[in-house]
Amino acid sequence: MKLLIIEDDRSLCRSINDYLKMEGHICEVAQTLHQAIYKAEDNIYDCVILDIGLPDGSGLDIIREMKSNKLAGGILIISAKSSLENKLTGLKIGADDYLTKPFHFAELSARINSICRKNNFLGMTEIIFNEIRINTNDNQVYVNDKLLNLTKKEYDLLLFFMANRNIIITKESIVEHLWGDDVILTDSFDFVYTHVKNLRKKIIASDGRNYIKCVYGFGYKFSDS
Amino acid sequence: MKLLSKSTYYFLLLSILTMIVGGALLYFTIKSIIYRKIDNSLITEKTIIQNQIEQIDTIPDFDATFGHQIEVKFLNYPLRNFQSIKDTDIYDSRSNSFLPYRYMFFSGNTISKKGYIITIFQVSSEKRELLRNINLYMFFLFFSLLLISILINFPIARRLWRPFYILVSRATKFDIQSDKPLDLPFTDINEFRQLNKVFDQMAHKMRNDYLNLKEFSENEAHEIKTPLAVIRSKTDLLMQQKNLNKESISLIKSINEATTRLFKLTHGLLLISNIENQSIHEKKKVSLKQIIENSLDNYKEIMQLKKIKVEMEAMDEALVEMNEVLAGVLISNLLSNAVRFNVDGGFIKCHVDDRYLIFTNSGLPMTIDPEILFRRFHKASDNPQSVGLGLSIVKKIVDSYGMLITYTCRDTIHEIKLHYRLNGDS
Repeated sequence: MKLLIIEDDRSLCRSINDYLKMEGHICEVAQTLHQAIYKAEDNIYDCVILDIGLPDGSGLDIIREMKSNKLAGGILIISAKSSLENKLTGLKIGADDYLTKPFHFAELSARINSICRKNNFLGMTEIIFNEIRINTNDNQVYVNDKLLNLTKKEYDLLLFFMANRNIIITKESIVEHLWGDDVILTDSFDFVYTHVKNLRKKIIASDGRNYIKCVYGFGYKFSDS
Repeated sequence: MKLLSKSTYYFLLLSILTMIVGGALLYFTIKSIIYRKIDNSLITEKTIIQNQIEQIDTIPDFDATFGHQIEVKFLNYPLRNFQSIKDTDIYDSRSNSFLPYRYMFFSGNTISKKGYIITIFQVSSEKRELLRNINLYMFFLFFSLLLISILINFPIARRLWRPFYILVSRATKFDIQSDKPLDLPFTDINEFRQLNKVFDQMAHKMRNDYLNLKEFSENEAHEIKTPLAVIRSKTDLLMQQKNLNKESISLIKSINEATTRLFKLTHGLLLISNIENQSIHEKKKVSLKQIIENSLDNYKEIMQLKKIKVEMEAMDEALVEMNEVLAGVLISNLLSNAVRFNVDGGFIKCHVDDRYLIFTNSGLPMTIDPEILFRRFHKASDNPQSVGLGLSIVKKIVDSYGMLITYTCRDTIHEIKLHYRLNGDS
C-alpha cells in the first residue's frame, strides 16, 4: 500500500517509515504542513498517517484540504493529545481513526489495515492467508472452508495477527489492542496467553497449521515460515 | 452561635444587670427621699407639740390640729428626752386590712416636771404606693427601651454585617476551576473593604497558581508523549532484528516495560486533569445499564477464566446526565477493579436503581481503610503493571459531577456504592 507519513519529529518519522517499509508498504514522508499538502495533492495514497501538531500549523487543515479536494485515501491521526475534543473534531471533519502517542507499531499496522479495508469496497472484504480466510463483513473465519467458532476477543486477536504478519508483537500491544488504553489488568499477560492458546487450538482443530509462534521474551509472531 | 444573637445575648445580659443594680439604687434613693420627707413632717409636728406643751403646759387637741392619730401618755415622774422613728402596720377596720404607718414616739417633761410619751402616727401607704408606681413606671420604661433598642439593633447589625455574610457565601461557593470572579459588592466600611480586598487577591492568586500548575502538568504530559513514542518505536524496531541474544532480549524487554509504565502514568494523569476541564465535555443522558453491559462484554473472557459469576439487576430507566466517554471510563475502572481483585470462583454483583449504583464483589479481606484507595498512587497490589490511578480517576469523575462514592469492605465482601442522584427529585 502507498502511505504518506506526516510527522514533525524526525526520529519518530524515520521509525514509522522503517517499520511500515518492513511490512511491505510504500511510504513517503512529510515533516511540515506545507510539504504535506503539496504531496497529498500530487499523489494518491491509500492512507495518510497524520500528526496534528505540526510546526507550521494544525494537521487538521490537511484533512480539510483533502476533503474539500475530494482526495481519496484514509486518514489516521496520530497525536500526543488524547483529549476528547481533539479526537472528536478530527473524526468529525473526516479522519477515519485516531491513535494516541505513544503507540505500538503493531497497533498502527492494525489500524492502517482496517482503514484501507473499509475504504476499498471491492474485493477487500476477505483476508486470505493460506488456508485461513477471514470475512470482515460478517466477522466469520474459515479454515479450510470450515467455519471457526471464535469469541470476539479471539477474532480481534486473529485480525491483529493478520495485520502484523512476520512481525514480532509484544504481549503489551495485544493487551492494549484487546482491552484499550484505559483498562489496567493485573493478570493480563495470562489472559493473552489463554486467548492465544485457545485461538491456536481452534485453528489446529480445523486442520490449520500452527502459525502463532512464541518469541522468547517478547511475545508472539504470526508467520508461516 | 450567630454573631447577631451573640451580640444581642451580651447586650441583654448587661442590660438586665444594669437594670437590677440601677433599679435597686433608684428604689432605695427614692425610698430614702420619701422617708426623709415623712420624718421631717413628723419632726415638725413634734416641735409644734413640744412648743405648745412648754407654753401652755397642756396637751393640745391634736386630732383637730393634725388630722391624724396621736397617742399621749402622761406619767407622774420626769423622763429623759428621747425620740425614735419606726415603721409599723396597723389594722384598719374600715378597709379591713393592715395599713403601713410610720410613727414617731418621743418623751419629754412638762413644766410641772411630769413626764410624757407622745407617739405620732402618719399613714405611709400613699407614699409607698408612690414608690411602687415610680418603680413600676421605671421598670416599664426600661423594658420598652430595651425592646426598642433590640428591635432597632437587629436590622442595623444585619445591615452592618451584610458585606461579611456576602463574603462568606461567595467564598464558600468559590470554585478554583471556574474563572468567575468572587464579585464582592462595594462596602463603605473600611475593615470589610480590606477583608474583601484580601480575599479577592487570594482568590486571584490561587487561580493563577492552579492554572499554572495545570498548564505545566498538561504540557509536561503532552511533551513526554512524543519522546515516549520514539522510544517505543525504536524498541519495536529493535525487537524485529534477527539474531538477538538473550541479554539484548531482556534489555529490550525491560525498556519496553518501563515505557509502558510511563505511558500508563502520563495517560492516567492527563485523564485526571482532563476531567477537571468539565466545561468542554458534552453532557447527555446516558444509560448506566447499557454502559455496564458493554463493559462486562470487555471482561467476559477474563471472568470466565477466573470463574467469576456475574449478577446484574438494573433498571432500564436509570439515566445519568454526564459525558458518555467519562461514564465509560468510570464503569470500566470500577469493573476492572472488581475483576482484578476478585478471587477464582468469586462473584460480582451490579445493582443499578434510580439513585444508586452498587458493585459488590468477593475478594481478599482488606487490612487498610478502603477509602485510601481513592487517593493517587495508592496501590492495593505490588504488580508493576498497576500504577495506582484507577480509583483516583473514578473519584475525580465522581467529584466533578458532584456525586458521592463510598468503598466498604466486610471480610471478603467489597462494596462500592455510587450515589449519583443526591437530590432524588431531579
